[in-house]
Amino acid sequence: MMPDSPTSSAAPTGNIADVPGVAPAPTHDVLLGAPPSSATPPAPSPARTSLAATIDKIAPTRDERLFLVLSILIGVLSGLLVVAFRMAIEWVKILSLGSAPHAGQYRLFFVPAIAGLVVAALVVWFFPAARGSGVNQTKAALYVYDGYISFRTVIGKFLTAALALGGGLSLGPEDPSLQIGAGVASIVARKLRLSRRRLRMFAPIGAAAGLAAAFNAPISAILFVIEEVIGSWSAAVLGSLVLAAISSDVVVRWFLGSEPMFRIPAIHSLRDPRELMAYAVLGFIGGLLAPLFSLLLGYLRPRLRALPRWTQYLQPAIAGLLVGSIGYFGFPEVMGVGYHVIDQAMHGQFVWQILIALVFLKLVATTVSFTSGTPGGMFAPTLFIGAMLGGAVGAFEKHFFPGLSGTVGTYCLVGMGVLFAGFLRVPLTSVFMVLEMSGNSSIILPLILANTIAFLLSRSLQPVGIFEIFSHQDGLDLPSMEEQREESALHIEDALQPVNIPIARAADTLKSVSAILAESHAKACLIRMPDGSWYSISSDELTTAAATLSPDAAIQLAIKSDRAPQLFPDMPLDSALHHFPRWPVLPISNRASRGAVEGVLTLEDVLGRYRNPE
Amino acid sequence: MTKHQSGTVLTPEERLARRRLIVRDAISLLSLFFITVVIFLLTLLLYRSFKNHEQLLGVRWRARGERALRLGRPAEAIPDLRTALAYIPDRTTEIELATALAAAGRTVEATAYFNTLLQSAPGDGMINLQLARLAARVGNQKLAVFRYQAALDGTWNGHGYAHRRQVRLELAGYLLSRNLNSQARTQLLIAESNAPDDPAIKIRIAGMLVQAGDLQSALEIYRAVSARRNPPFEAIVGAGRTAYSMGKYRVAADYLGRALAQPAARKLPAAEQAADRTMLNNANRILILFPDINLPARARAERILGAKKLAFLRLTTCMAPPVTASTSPRSVLPSQKAPFASPASLQAGANSSLSAALTATPPQLTALQTRWNQLPRRLTVWNLARQPDLEQTVLQLIYDTETITAQVCGPPTGDNALLLQIAKNPAAVEQE
Repeated sequence: MMPDSPTSSAAPTGNIADVPGVAPAPTHDVLLGAPPSSATPPAPSPARTSLAATIDKIAPTRDERLFLVLSILIGVLSGLLVVAFRMAIEWVKILSLGSAPHAGQYRLFFVPAIAGLVVAALVVWFFPAARGSGVNQTKAALYVYDGYISFRTVIGKFLTAALALGGGLSLGPEDPSLQIGAGVASIVARKLRLSRRRLRMFAPIGAAAGLAAAFNAPISAILFVIEEVIGSWSAAVLGSLVLAAISSDVVVRWFLGSEPMFRIPAIHSLRDPRELMAYAVLGFIGGLLAPLFSLLLGYLRPRLRALPRWTQYLQPAIAGLLVGSIGYFGFPEVMGVGYHVIDQAMHGQFVWQILIALVFLKLVATTVSFTSGTPGGMFAPTLFIGAMLGGAVGAFEKHFFPGLSGTVGTYCLVGMGVLFAGFLRVPLTSVFMVLEMSGNSSIILPLILANTIAFLLSRSLQPVGIFEIFSHQDGLDLPSMEEQREESALHIEDALQPVNIPIARAADTLKSVSAILAESHAKACLIRMPDGSWYSISSDELTTAAATLSPDAAIQLAIKSDRAPQLFPDMPLDSALHHFPRWPVLPISNRASRGAVEGVLTLEDVLGRYRNPE
Repeated sequence: MTKHQSGTVLTPEERLARRRLIVRDAISLLSLFFITVVIFLLTLLLYRSFKNHEQLLGVRWRARGERALRLGRPAEAIPDLRTALAYIPDRTTEIELATALAAAGRTVEATAYFNTLLQSAPGDGMINLQLARLAARVGNQKLAVFRYQAALDGTWNGHGYAHRRQVRLELAGYLLSRNLNSQARTQLLIAESNAPDDPAIKIRIAGMLVQAGDLQSALEIYRAVSARRNPPFEAIVGAGRTAYSMGKYRVAADYLGRALAQPAARKLPAAEQAADRTMLNNANRILILFPDINLPARARAERILGAKKLAFLRLTTCMAPPVTASTSPRSVLPSQKAPFASPASLQAGANSSLSAALTATPPQLTALQTRWNQLPRRLTVWNLARQPDLEQTVLQLIYDTETITAQVCGPPTGDNALLLQIAKNPAAVEQE
């Protein structure tokens, strides 16, 4: 088996402050409930640092070359593990709950409770890092732990999540799949002794592969990882993300076929634009339901975690008992992952009253299952609730307005997107996920409308997204796209000043340039080069040049070979900052007219703008 | 010293380290590849084992559901079929599940399910038929007819011809139940024209045509089937009954006689047997009473005079006041005095009492009375046989008397009842 780390022999300190560049923040208990040995990476030893430096010297392009090959390999491995994970869940389900669980079966009462008890024991004793969904843990691995996810975490996630989901607890397999994928990537990258920078990048690549395999929808997986895990658009990893996601999806399709987890019913294109009103209603209701779900989870999770440690053994069991009771007393549909129930709802097997009941019962079941600390994800329950909500709204509207052309299945699909956008706050992923699953672009108009309404309404009612809430509760402060949406980033144009310094030509003499500079009392002047580029020369540099050159010599003999960077007004303001140690003044060019200067920027201008951002 | 591609000069130790790194990377990649193969095999094993088990479970649950459905226990079939669908989703099972839902009385669920199935195959005849039945069940006549029509126009997996005929007959039955006889008749005539040479189907169509009021078409079908070698009993008895209903008593007597002579007649319920026998007796008696145009003039006149006597007696009985009203002029009825007196003497003797009762007599009867008074005083066989016009007038008066007295005084009995039956369509009595 692969070792956890090439330096696994080194005793891990368990202190986040030991990881270079990371400020000491959360303790392990708060963060992941994990002891140092499994949750956090060992601190980079001097030997490792030296090895990395050696590799960088003797094979500087090695990491880059391995990167793409490993992306494919990670994709394949993740795909295989996710297929095995899904099969394991199904086996556990059949063996524990039987092949046809239905209301009134006694085993529905005790099986989820026993599963909860076993899972709790495994998590507390052996796999503390397996707790929770896996999305935030992967994100933490990327931003805090240099991409480190231990082998034990991967094994623990696989086993405990399979037991919990197969045993009937109301959670999903996608987030664990994401973490398993990220874990596989982390292990492979460590095995190959890649640089720390590459190690970090592999976690999201593996996450995309795992999620693509779980969803059977690679584009959605890539978008989700970009929107939620990486938190920003990064061209550096995009190629590898795509390769990993596609290769894992190929594996899954080879085993499970091209259909998603449920069969997609017939989808009719929108015949009458007025029908968009019906979808808008769905978006509105979804926009109200999503913050309620977040609120429940955000309220209950820290309170259950604050309970004495011994209760951690019982919490998943009690959650299991509650979920089992719901199943026993008439709604076994809420138990487990629930893909087949989504399938049934999409194919019109439930009346809208039942669908409404399933929305709220699943919400309760998922809230207790998740907040009890049981390993498992939020994706499948979100899809479930969204599908039931969409189906209910669709069936209700079709009952009273039979002329609507949208099928109940269409409403289910849009409902899934609605809750995904509203609850998980991933609007792009929500749209692409539904499009990818349905394979039908005629749904796009109602989908975008409903998702946008749900996203905006949910965001206005509950400004912080669910994963961010969990991060804050764990004492982590991880970047997110949600944050970026809130930011009003400054641009160069916000600090841009008119050209108030002299401009000279490259052919002008040192004497004339010095005279102009002295006359204007400026600290620097701009020199226009024959090729249209610019050079910014300070008075000190001019003085130094004047000491060695004749006063009648052309100024271009005095200047160095580099040129002022080409900056434009729409670029982020911070992109100008690192140029100031070299250049006293930065010319800001016009995108429409090459060589023309729109204004200038000095360090004082930038700092002044940051001091007064309004 | 060697210059590296990046421009850095490598020492011999570094070159050695580089070679080692390449070898190490190659081994690492190979070991990763080997691990991937091992994981692939394990996954394949897990996958195959689960899929085989899943298939097994799906087949088992579907068989259970189908058995429950066959045994008429749809409520039991529903969870079984649902489970089967979770393991092997296929359209046939979906339709079976929806059918079970419908059969279990879960109309709303069944409708929703069938509607969803229909969306993926709008032209599916079976689904349209099921939706038609559900619409009929909830009383949505317009939708039911629409769905039946869609089922007729839809596609069927094999035996489309037979399926469509069945749907058409079901639609006709539904229309009959809603008293839409004209529409039902249209469907039945189409079904009949497309029906194969199957006596059972023909007899069923004929029976439904009788319900739709198209007795002529029904009789034609019955007679056509009855003309076959070894005709079915249902066709013969059906022809007899239909002919009787149409007033074709000659035909009725013929078919009913044949039918009642068959052993199958004894298997009919007693009430039906009695009814058929009564019809046969009535038909035979009508043929005795009826003054057929083909009879010799004298025999015909004798029958007319006999009928005249019966009709007049019926009129006087009808015009007489109730027995309980002792002060009433109708308290002493001529018929009570001399029930078998000749019409002429009765006519003369009753005039005074009838005139007294005129004020309380319905105008239809008064008009009849006037017509009776206008007849010649003495009507004989000879008179009638020589005067066809008079014969026709008397016959018409007899029929009108039976008809009007039935309207005023209620249905008659005995030969008067038979005369009334003749009066309804005298031309049909001897029709073939």
